Amino acid sequence: MNAPPAWIDPRFRLIEGGQCHDAPALIEMAADGVHGPVVDAHTAAAVVMALVAAETAGRPVALLRRPDPDAAEAAAGTGFAVLLQTSGTTGAPKLVRHDIARLRVRLRGTGDATARWLLTYEPASFAGLQVILTALAAGATLIARPGEGVAGLVAAALEHGATHISGTPSFWRGFLMASGDRDPPLRSITLGGEAADQPLLDRLAERFPDARLRHIYASTEAGVLFAVADGRAGFPAHWLETGVDGVDLRLVGGELEVRSPRAAPGREGWQPTGDLIELAGDRALFAGRADGRVKVGGAMVSPEAVERHLLAVPGVADAEVRAVPNPLTGHILTATVVPAPGTDPDALRAALRDAAAGLEPAARPRVVALADSIPLGPAGKKRREVTA
Amino acid sequence: MLDVIAEELGHILAEKGEPMPVIGPDTVFLGGPLPIDSLDLATLLLVLEQRTGQDPFRAGFRQFTTVGELAALYQPAAAS
Repeated sequence: MNAPPAWIDPRFRLIEGGQCHDAPALIEMAADGVHGPVVDAHTAAAVVMALVAAETAGRPVALLRRPDPDAAEAAAGTGFAVLLQTSGTTGAPKLVRHDIARLRVRLRGTGDATARWLLTYEPASFAGLQVILTALAAGATLIARPGEGVAGLVAAALEHGATHISGTPSFWRGFLMASGDRDPPLRSITLGGEAADQPLLDRLAERFPDARLRHIYASTEAGVLFAVADGRAGFPAHWLETGVDGVDLRLVGGELEVRSPRAAPGREGWQPTGDLIELAGDRALFAGRADGRVKVGGAMVSPEAVERHLLAVPGVADAEVRAVPNPLTGHILTATVVPAPGTDPDALRAALRDAAAGLEPAARPRVVALADSIPLGPAGKKRREVTA
Repeated sequence: MLDVIAEELGHILAEKGEPMPVIGPDTVFLGGPLPIDSLDLATLLLVLEQRTGQDPFRAGFRQFTTVGELAALYQPAAAS
């Protein structure tokens, strides 16, 4: 048994669920509690205590958002490491192993103990863990309301005077709507998880002129790659020549590839990101995913996988799921369904509703139209591309 | 346009099994009496575009908080 982690600043405080805990109390509770290598981590407190217990014992810990029968095996062995689930919205989530020491290297320049961070991400997501580690290392205050929608998060930000918020562009659009004319005392605004668009960056800069505004580019496997702080969407095109922050960038067939000195083991060398880039003057702009997946409210969704899900519903002869651009959530899914002959439309709609309920909210087709046929593209395939 | 928004909100809430509260121009979408989240609101914008043929957000996100502010983003012709 080792000493509790020294990198946690004792001034850290967590405000969650109407309770306030400081770092010593959380460390004590972690020592008292029973913690296996697999933890259902739905609260920030659960994440902090699981991290402390695992690092103290010198073993891995899997922080789960959803049940995973393989987690115990994946988290076996010795040596402190954290396993997080990817946010696969359809299909089984993947467990990715993270080296906390490597993640902590990225936390430089964030050592502000007066910061009051609002946690807008799920505690056991990669982005959520970044926020939690940042607050822990800085001795800052962390405000968490797990399971709350954007309105509840805004209420928490106002009530507790949040100064630092990291969220997806979808979160920030909802934030601007739900906060009305009441502003928390924001000093730092971070956007991540999906491409930040220029109108949103402009709105945030106008509303919070004194706050530091930046958007982050990260991937599940490579972690945080770079931050853009000039208030403009995309990133400077010359970074494709010069690299940024030690990370090399290049385009291969329109897709961004990265080479990072901080890459996880096995991810050294050039790695495809799956993100398509368009060049516009001095700027490189994000232009969607190479595999057709889209972000819906910050969650990565595969229209094709949702389509397969609908095709499995009895009474469905054919189905097409499309991603439609949406000003609030980036994209939203719609479906066109061709009923099998003799199928009762009402019964089919009920069956489709039941099928959609088995998907994550972001992956549910929000508008479902019944049709006689699905128009096909020139090659006789469904037109997979995102409609403009 | 207020009626159109109220009607489509009613459909979205019915799908969720939620009752429809009384709404007016000053009703706020998020953080008010409406039991909706941002995905529901995104759905509303989609069906309003399908119904009116107008996309007030084509050039990017525009600020609105209340039902009345959203209604004002659509051309009056769409209300008929």
